[in-house]
Amino acid sequence: MRRLILPILAGVVAVIGLALAMATPPDAFQGDFARIFHVHVPASWIAFLAFFVTALGSVAWMLTRRAFWDRLAAASAEVGVLFTAAALLTGSLWGKPVWGRFWDWGDARLASTALMFFVYLGYLALRRATIDPVARARRASIIGMVAVIQVPLVYFSVNLWRSLHQTQTIRPDGASMGPEMLGAFLVNLLAFNLVYLALLTSRIRLGRAQEEAAASSVPAGSAITAPRLDPI
Amino acid sequence: MALVTLQHVSVRVSRLLILDQVDFELAEGEVVGLAGPNGAGKTTLLHVIATLQPVSTGSGAVLGASLGTPGQRLIRPSIGLSGHDPGLYPELTLAENVRLFARLVHRPLTEADTVLAQVGLEGAAGRRADRCSNGMQRRTDLARLLMLRPKLLLLDEAHAGLDDDSEILVDELVRRVRSEGGGCVMVSHDATRLAARTDRIVTIRQGRV
Amino acid sequence: MRRFWNHVMAIAGRDLRIEGRSGEVLSVVLPFAAVAVFVVPLATDPLTTDLSALAFPVYWLVSLLFGMQVALRQTGTESTMQRRQLALAGVDPLARFLGRVVAAATLIFSVTLFTLPLVILFYDPQPLPPLLPTTGTVLLFATGLSVLSTLAGDVTVGLRTRSALAPLIVAPLAVPLIIGASRSLESLSRGGGSLAWTGLLVMVDLALAMAAVFAARPMEEATI
Repeated sequence: MRRLILPILAGVVAVIGLALAMATPPDAFQGDFARIFHVHVPASWIAFLAFFVTALGSVAWMLTRRAFWDRLAAASAEVGVLFTAAALLTGSLWGKPVWGRFWDWGDARLASTALMFFVYLGYLALRRATIDPVARARRASIIGMVAVIQVPLVYFSVNLWRSLHQTQTIRPDGASMGPEMLGAFLVNLLAFNLVYLALLTSRIRLGRAQEEAAASSVPAGSAITAPRLDPI
Repeated sequence: MALVTLQHVSVRVSRLLILDQVDFELAEGEVVGLAGPNGAGKTTLLHVIATLQPVSTGSGAVLGASLGTPGQRLIRPSIGLSGHDPGLYPELTLAENVRLFARLVHRPLTEADTVLAQVGLEGAAGRRADRCSNGMQRRTDLARLLMLRPKLLLLDEAHAGLDDDSEILVDELVRRVRSEGGGCVMVSHDATRLAARTDRIVTIRQGRV
Repeated sequence: MRRFWNHVMAIAGRDLRIEGRSGEVLSVVLPFAAVAVFVVPLATDPLTTDLSALAFPVYWLVSLLFGMQVALRQTGTESTMQRRQLALAGVDPLARFLGRVVAAATLIFSVTLFTLPLVILFYDPQPLPPLLPTTGTVLLFATGLSVLSTLAGDVTVGLRTRSALAPLIVAPLAVPLIIGASRSLESLSRGGGSLAWTGLLVMVDLALAMAAVFAARPMEEATI
């Protein structure tokens, strides 16, 4: 029952966030299409968070060799791929009516986010290809740490290249959106965080159960017995 | 002083239990044989002793260095390992392979030529390894071990597939190591060979001694 | 310290000697890269397409793909026993890694430098960037790609899907190198400076070098 608290809470906050997003007045220039902002931006931020958690889990595994950190890193990468896909999809759906095309190569942040998606597909492919759990944790943790170089590059690319994408809307000196829109956005951001946590914890639990089921206390050599040749 | 002590060592690879609570000791000047059926864990135990295979549980020490500590890097150059695969670089000549090893272990390069002559490969020293037979490659591996003069010699089916001269070389290698206070662990399926060449035999079955 | 660098040079020398004997880069990868440069204009109409605009994008793409091929070449891949013998010889895993990176960077630099005049020949880019800064940019690119590809090669060693998996890992992670190198050359061609982009290349190279220093020893444990 306790395991259901987080998913239920995430669902409730998500519904509230969705309602608030629909209730805010339409944007002066983008009209109702701007509402997709409440999904696209939180999805992007959570994707970045997820990949940082993967890197942290990777470093922690390297330092402690405790299986939990590897499970955390793997689970966070899987969830991160999901949110990155959501960010790319919603970005494309937003781009078509606003920019006139689904994909804009002039948008450096969009291209960099797509790259981040591929980096972590490679990370998950590496995990899948390595059978031994210790070797898998070791190899994946190395790539997890190296891959996080990409994440700051995505975020700061908006400042580095000329881009059609709007510059960071939430800045340390204050946001450039109205208070109603800001409120709805923050609720949606909270919802996405809760969904991320719910998915992460479930995936970690599943990973542990899978490992426990696969572990064997029977010596490997017991599978080999003396031959029993029947007469021809 | 014991060259090798292993206490309750277990090794799990890909979730499979390969070694189960193994105790093992090797004294100075001792030659111990490892026997057992296929899949018993003999090669894995050899690699644990070589400090190349991490243990899942248990403890031990090899040449004074505890397993799983940075200290084991320092004693590795005193370990000689020989198996089915001589580990030569196919594009390099036999001499270049041994000279590369000499450079890595800080021996004079001329020693490489000396040991190749000692194993009877002087005439083939300039031949690429991929143009030499497996027997010649394994003799080159023995030359490398002669040059190394290891304190701990680990042989994994080292006699299998060798001609009589090469077998003599292996025996000579073991004799030299033993006479200098070192030790040897020898894996073989050939019970007769093990009985003739070792002080005692340890039998492994299903990962247990 | 001296022993460490002695090992680095021994490993690098080994790899370059093996390449000299096998010719995998010189007689296979290099001609293949040349073919790729030649074939691209044939995928469009070379008489009407502005090939000069394609010149440097094609150059960096070929450099990336064939640079990876160089670093992941078969003759540069050590067998399990070879890795074990190096470990038992007391070679520091970082020295072993650096030695291989030095050799791979030398070979990648050679391939990319050779490909440049081919691109100029077939695509006629105008104006051309100055030679010395261009060489510096190519060298920084080759170094970063060498570190990244060698690292990817190490984490995929022994895996049956290595030939596809290692490039899948390298290609997206190499994008900062591509961006820095291509923008640098673009800026140099226009007569401008390339300090910012060179700075990006140096930063990426340093970040990769730090990652390699951190990863070399744990990687050895996974592969011997």
